Amino acid sequence: MPIAYANFPYLTTILLTCVAGLLIILFLPAEQTRQIKRVSAVCAGVTLAISLYLFVAYDHAAGGWQFAEKVAWVPSLGIHYFNAVDGFSLPMLLLTGIVFFTGVLTMWELELRVKEFFALIILLVTGVFGLFMSLDLFFIFVWFDVSLFPMYLLIAVWGSTRKEYAAMKLTLYLLAGSALILPGIVYLVVKSGMFTFDLTVLMEPGTFTPSEQKLAFFLFYIGFGILAAVWPFHTWSPVGHVAAPTAVSMIHAGVLMKIGAFGILRLGMFLCPVGWQYWAPLMALLATVGIVYGVLAGLRQTDLKYVIGYSSVSHMGVVGLGLATMTVSGLNGAVFQMFAHGVMTALFFSSVGYIYDRTHTKAIAELGGLSRSMPLAAGFFIVAALAGIGVPCLASFWAELLVFIAAFKVYPVYAVFAVGALAVSALFMLRVVQRTCYGPPAERVAQLPDISPGLAVPRAILVSVIVLFGLFPSLMYNLIQTASIPFIGRLPW
Amino acid sequence: MVNWMTLSPELFYGLVMTAVFMVLCLVPANPRRDHATALILAAVGLAVTVGATGMRGDLFVDTYRVDLFSQVFKVMLSLGLLLVVLLCSELAGVDEKRHALVYLLLSLCTLAMMMLVSAVNLVTIYVALELSSYCLYVLVFLRKGQARSAQTAIRYFLVGASASAVMLFGLALIYGAARTTSVVALSAALPQLISRPDVLTGLLMVLGGFFFKLALFPFHFWAPDVYEGAANQVAAYIATASKVATVAVLIRIVAMAGDGSLLLVRALAALAIVSMTVGNLTAIVQKDFKRMLAYSTIAHGGYILLGILSMSPEGFSAAVFYAFTVLVLKFSCFFVLAKVATDGANLSIDGLAGLHRRSPLLAMVLMMALFALAGIPPTIGFTGKLFIFTAAMAKGHLVLVLIAMFNVVVSLYYYLLAIKAAYLTEPAKNLPAIRLSVGERLLAGALVAVTVCAGIFPAPLLDLAEAAVRTVI
Repeated sequence: MPIAYANFPYLTTILLTCVAGLLIILFLPAEQTRQIKRVSAVCAGVTLAISLYLFVAYDHAAGGWQFAEKVAWVPSLGIHYFNAVDGFSLPMLLLTGIVFFTGVLTMWELELRVKEFFALIILLVTGVFGLFMSLDLFFIFVWFDVSLFPMYLLIAVWGSTRKEYAAMKLTLYLLAGSALILPGIVYLVVKSGMFTFDLTVLMEPGTFTPSEQKLAFFLFYIGFGILAAVWPFHTWSPVGHVAAPTAVSMIHAGVLMKIGAFGILRLGMFLCPVGWQYWAPLMALLATVGIVYGVLAGLRQTDLKYVIGYSSVSHMGVVGLGLATMTVSGLNGAVFQMFAHGVMTALFFSSVGYIYDRTHTKAIAELGGLSRSMPLAAGFFIVAALAGIGVPCLASFWAELLVFIAAFKVYPVYAVFAVGALAVSALFMLRVVQRTCYGPPAERVAQLPDISPGLAVPRAILVSVIVLFGLFPSLMYNLIQTASIPFIGRLPW
Repeated sequence: MVNWMTLSPELFYGLVMTAVFMVLCLVPANPRRDHATALILAAVGLAVTVGATGMRGDLFVDTYRVDLFSQVFKVMLSLGLLLVVLLCSELAGVDEKRHALVYLLLSLCTLAMMMLVSAVNLVTIYVALELSSYCLYVLVFLRKGQARSAQTAIRYFLVGASASAVMLFGLALIYGAARTTSVVALSAALPQLISRPDVLTGLLMVLGGFFFKLALFPFHFWAPDVYEGAANQVAAYIATASKVATVAVLIRIVAMAGDGSLLLVRALAALAIVSMTVGNLTAIVQKDFKRMLAYSTIAHGGYILLGILSMSPEGFSAAVFYAFTVLVLKFSCFFVLAKVATDGANLSIDGLAGLHRRSPLLAMVLMMALFALAGIPPTIGFTGKLFIFTAAMAKGHLVLVLIAMFNVVVSLYYYLLAIKAAYLTEPAKNLPAIRLSVGERLLAGALVAVTVCAGIFPAPLLDLAEAAVRTVI
């Protein structure tokens, strides 16, 4: 694939903005919470602006790696600081920018240990940005872990509902994943015999034998799959989402889980296409089980956040099914779904977070008539629920459509199960909306104020993104095409 | 004719420092004066050692070699001594009358370890090892007012003496087969002899002596008791400088055997696996911070062994790099420990509660050190592990690396418990803030900076380690 070097280091600027924000916050006195929040918001805003610019400025006709920048880092080991974006990573960058910015705004009312919270959030997001743009296996792994380990403190300090248990479980699960990824990376680098961590070099066809690819792909699939909540490694995910504070749930379900799927795509499928082909039936099976399981487990939940947590498991299953089809349409759908689900679930968690902050309950049974007492907040929740169901004109519709078109061709049986399960979940979700938003107002919600304009801004941004890409899916589709068509085209079969 | 300049570090520690502290032992005690003297001398010692890195030479009938390898380790040793002396500003765990004695023994022990890393004759190695061990036995004994420390010291001594006996027996076996005690001559002879059972047994027995120092399975069980029973500063010295010296000799001895023996590699691999697993699993249930660190040291010994058993220049230099890593990180932990437990008492993990309020800086030092020990990037701990795993993988030890990685995940659990105590748990009663002097603040900042910067820019250190290792093989 062609590599176009940038005349201005946009990608590094994103990272440096985060690092600068982090340093400024570290040196601000902890009492100046307003300043700290402002710095975080500016930092998030700048990263969002740059990722938006890159999203627009990417040359669709040329394709390939663009805005590349490369510096030797540890020459003796072949490690480079090497960043570039393509049609797969640009949607992820934009998603990260959106969720980061709206997440910071969502937490505007935070009062507990503000300085540490925003410092950790920025550190986490730095890792996520780095991972999506890096083309060096060493850095990909570094960014991967940088984006994981702040989670422990973020959930354990600021969370709720069995937070210490959830934080420990999540951290150990995700780092168990990295315990497979690192050997996978080192294995490939050593086997290539080239002493380089450069992804663009290692992905040349014929670098690895089929058996090496099968082994490495398996390590990557399970390692990143844990983060992508692939069944049966998903159990950390609902627990973690429920326990995390709102912005962390948003970033976590919205962006971090995408890292898992993106890692399978970037490391597993790019480096080990034969391994991908070999393991694809397993991927499809686990993804379908995940979809069905997520739906069934969601039916039993009485806690709103658990409902969303399990719906994330099934939506990430859709991504997995798309990746397993090994077709252009499936890949397009999977990446589109990663973006759409990220925005949708961020909206979901941020509206539930607001409801919880005010009512101090997430139990579906204790809520009711929200649309009367807080119409705006309920409206956001309903949009998120509709997007989760996959209603046309909202972004997830197109994504799921693409995945199922591909899946019906390649894995018809699985596709029937998956679509059936999602239909059941749609009915259930509508019922949840009805119970919480309509009907007679529950006592504890009747007197509560609606969401303030300031706090409505981040939710409104998320809604408009969902609607925009729902009405004009080609904005996203055409971009992903520039990566998926050449990628499928150069596969060895 | 011996060029005495090549021996300047040894001469400095052997003559100047020991002489000064012998005098200070005799005159009436004055802890402040003793500490200031020790600080200045240790700093000068570091400068002398750094100045001597360029020295080369074979001395004393080729039993003593000064090369880049030995000099790099001597720098690490004198750095370790300086750091530990910095911690001694509140040496509350030892009777004031004996502070000068502590410094005397610390310098003597550092001297012994310098001799150890330069020794290229099995007899010299043995003598140097014993000298350093005896210093440590006494140091452990010196803790104030605890019958426990005497008991610990005696146990330490007995285990150490048994390890020495095993080692001597091994030396005899090797000498019997190869008819030489020179490491250089052995490097030529051993690769042919290594398949013989008596030679392999002998070599493993010799290594046993060093496994004792490195606290590797099955010679590990002294470590938790000694860490717990010794004064905090002494435990810090054992956990840092003493480990570094051992890594150096292990590399020399294993390099001597060449990579011809599959059995040797398998034996080392088994020991590495058991050490990692036993160390990490036992560390989980520890309540005392020092005991936890002791078990984590056992596990880290296993990681280092993984680099050494790769028997390649990459593996050896990764082990050297990792030795430096352990030095920095373990010292960071002990620095926090010594500052939190200013009365010189032991510290339970729960005793870290509320640290983020009492001293945000110390809490950060602790968090960075523990995350680095758990191998989280972008810290030096991750980079060190990456080098070791790459070297092991290059020799085809995929399964070993996977086991090591899962051990890393297990270890994360108990490191997180300590981080949780420091950042989340609120103490039962309100504890006062911890005051740090300007120097201590700088030291804390420097430790965090080294932990991160050496992780992000490892190239200069790694190149130095590689250059050093090339002089051995």
